[in-house]
Amino acid sequence: MTMSSQAYSLPAPRKRLPRIRLGVLLVLPALTAITLLYALPLMRSLVTAFRDGSGAWTTEHVVRAFSLYGRDMLFSMGVVSASLALIAVMSIAIAGYLTLGATPWAVRVLRWLYRWPLFIPFVVTGQIARSFLATNGMMNNVLVETGLMASSSAQSFLDWRGLVLTFAWKQIPFVTLLLAGAMAAVERSHIEAARNAGASRLRCLFEIVLPQAAPTLWVGLILSMVAMLSVLSVPMMLIAGNPTMMTSMMAHRITYYGDYGIANALGLFSYALTAVTAWFYLRLTLRREAGA
Amino acid sequence: MSTEALTLNNVTVDLGRQRILDDIHLDVSPGSFTCLLGPSGCGKTTLLRAIAGFTPLSRGEIRLGRRALTHLPPEKRETAMVFQSYALWPHMSVEENLGYPLKLRGVTRTERRRKVAEMLARLELSGFEERAVTKLSGGQRQRIALGRALIIDPPLLLLDEPLSNLDAAIRRSLRSELRRLQKSLGITTIMVTHDQEEALQMADQIVLMRAGHVVQVSTPQTLYQQPADLGAARFLGVDNTVTRTPQDPMGESGAVTFGFRTRDAHLDAPPCPQALIRKGRVTECVYTGDGYHVLIDTHDAELFATSATPVAPGTFAALQVPESALIPFGPDDRHLPPLDRHEDIA
Repeated sequence: MTMSSQAYSLPAPRKRLPRIRLGVLLVLPALTAITLLYALPLMRSLVTAFRDGSGAWTTEHVVRAFSLYGRDMLFSMGVVSASLALIAVMSIAIAGYLTLGATPWAVRVLRWLYRWPLFIPFVVTGQIARSFLATNGMMNNVLVETGLMASSSAQSFLDWRGLVLTFAWKQIPFVTLLLAGAMAAVERSHIEAARNAGASRLRCLFEIVLPQAAPTLWVGLILSMVAMLSVLSVPMMLIAGNPTMMTSMMAHRITYYGDYGIANALGLFSYALTAVTAWFYLRLTLRREAGA
Repeated sequence: MSTEALTLNNVTVDLGRQRILDDIHLDVSPGSFTCLLGPSGCGKTTLLRAIAGFTPLSRGEIRLGRRALTHLPPEKRETAMVFQSYALWPHMSVEENLGYPLKLRGVTRTERRRKVAEMLARLELSGFEERAVTKLSGGQRQRIALGRALIIDPPLLLLDEPLSNLDAAIRRSLRSELRRLQKSLGITTIMVTHDQEEALQMADQIVLMRAGHVVQVSTPQTLYQQPADLGAARFLGVDNTVTRTPQDPMGESGAVTFGFRTRDAHLDAPPCPQALIRKGRVTECVYTGDGYHVLIDTHDAELFATSATPVAPGTFAALQVPESALIPFGPDDRHLPPLDRHEDIA
């Protein structure tokens, strides 16, 4: 009996070891890619933000980044917040009309039109915005030629307003796409029950449909924020002077001064902002999965 | 709001090129309970949705009391509908669900709370205010949906198969509860169902529909005993039809075909002169709880009958249906009026 029990208990560890090794082997390519291409560069740039030329630890880069580019950081946050507000309003309006619209042909036309900017890269969007929003741009020309505005009062929109409009133009379709999907997933009978109870379409949108689709709206806005914080081409093309978006300043610091320390200290701020929103994003998804 | 009569005139609904409802006329008297009954796809839910305003009419008119509803959007119709899926808003608590129709009408918060508590007491769900609707059982959800419809004291209650998602026992108890509530409120009610038993038990008036048409509008008793035609009869459980022979009773009625229900055809009844009799070979015998269902192969048809004792397949047997249980149909498959009325007309 003892012999047989030993015989049973002995082979067990031998069997388990190869299984663990096989598991590690399977994960290894992905793990290596993440480590080499993502985690290491991220750690390195974080570390560089706190090291001086001789390799000693310092907070000088961070302090200087804040003193030199504090205005740009505030500017970036302001532009991103204004863009997000505009994106939210417009995507709620479009997705709401797609879900509750009563004129079938208008809904079809809108559904066909709104996605176009999704297929246009940021750099092309920047170029379009330049030729549209400049003092002699298409927007002012049209306004002057139709007699809606005197040519003397034409002004350039190539400042924070241009950035907000361009970011919104590019990101509204993306958020609308997500939001319209979430709104379409709301049971039709929920909307009908509300209308039957006496709710107008607008109240239906804000009191029945939007609350049920809100988690998706937040996800869309968070992803848009990350996109806006990382786009370089649009601020470079639209804004000449100061203040400007942080990406522009980081590129400037690296291209003209080779100063990785301050550029990384600026990056740190972007990380912090996106980390906070990523935390919100994860919390939302987890809560939604727990609820489902 | 007082309860009101509903009138449908000429109501026609087209979906693309397909005609879903064809020229429906219907009068529903105030305070009555009407069931729209029919097989799936007959247009009964479309008719209910047309009354609620969710399906536009191609032609015709809908009136509630003195008001013409035809061109009003759903939110202006003041009809209260209970949906098959209950359609409770998952992001609102029980109290918010019940109070929402009141909120839309500008009722103050305190008044809303009072009315919601009152309604919950009536639904025997007191203390459920803060519960999430997603945590309720099917029967509880159904009651909340009903309460949400009734809380505005509507002139017309529309029920779209409200009991079909519940299990049999709860359905039976809710059936009588719903009927009691409707009677005590005296509210004009229209309910869609495909369950003939439900319609027969609950309705004052049944509208039998088929392929977008109204086949028959009558009381449950008349519908059950005198279905308008063979199709209606089959839908109402008349599962046997035989061609009349000279030996059969009711010779003077002019009937070509008789229909009868299985439970009226007996194998072991004492012979009676005024009865329809068919003989044949037993092909199947199934136990049904309160007796046996026996399938008999006669010359021209397979007929079902009941028996108190089991019958071995292969044996010969005679089924007997009393004259009172026979439903006569003419050459066009339409129901023939009862003899006394027949004579009156003649």
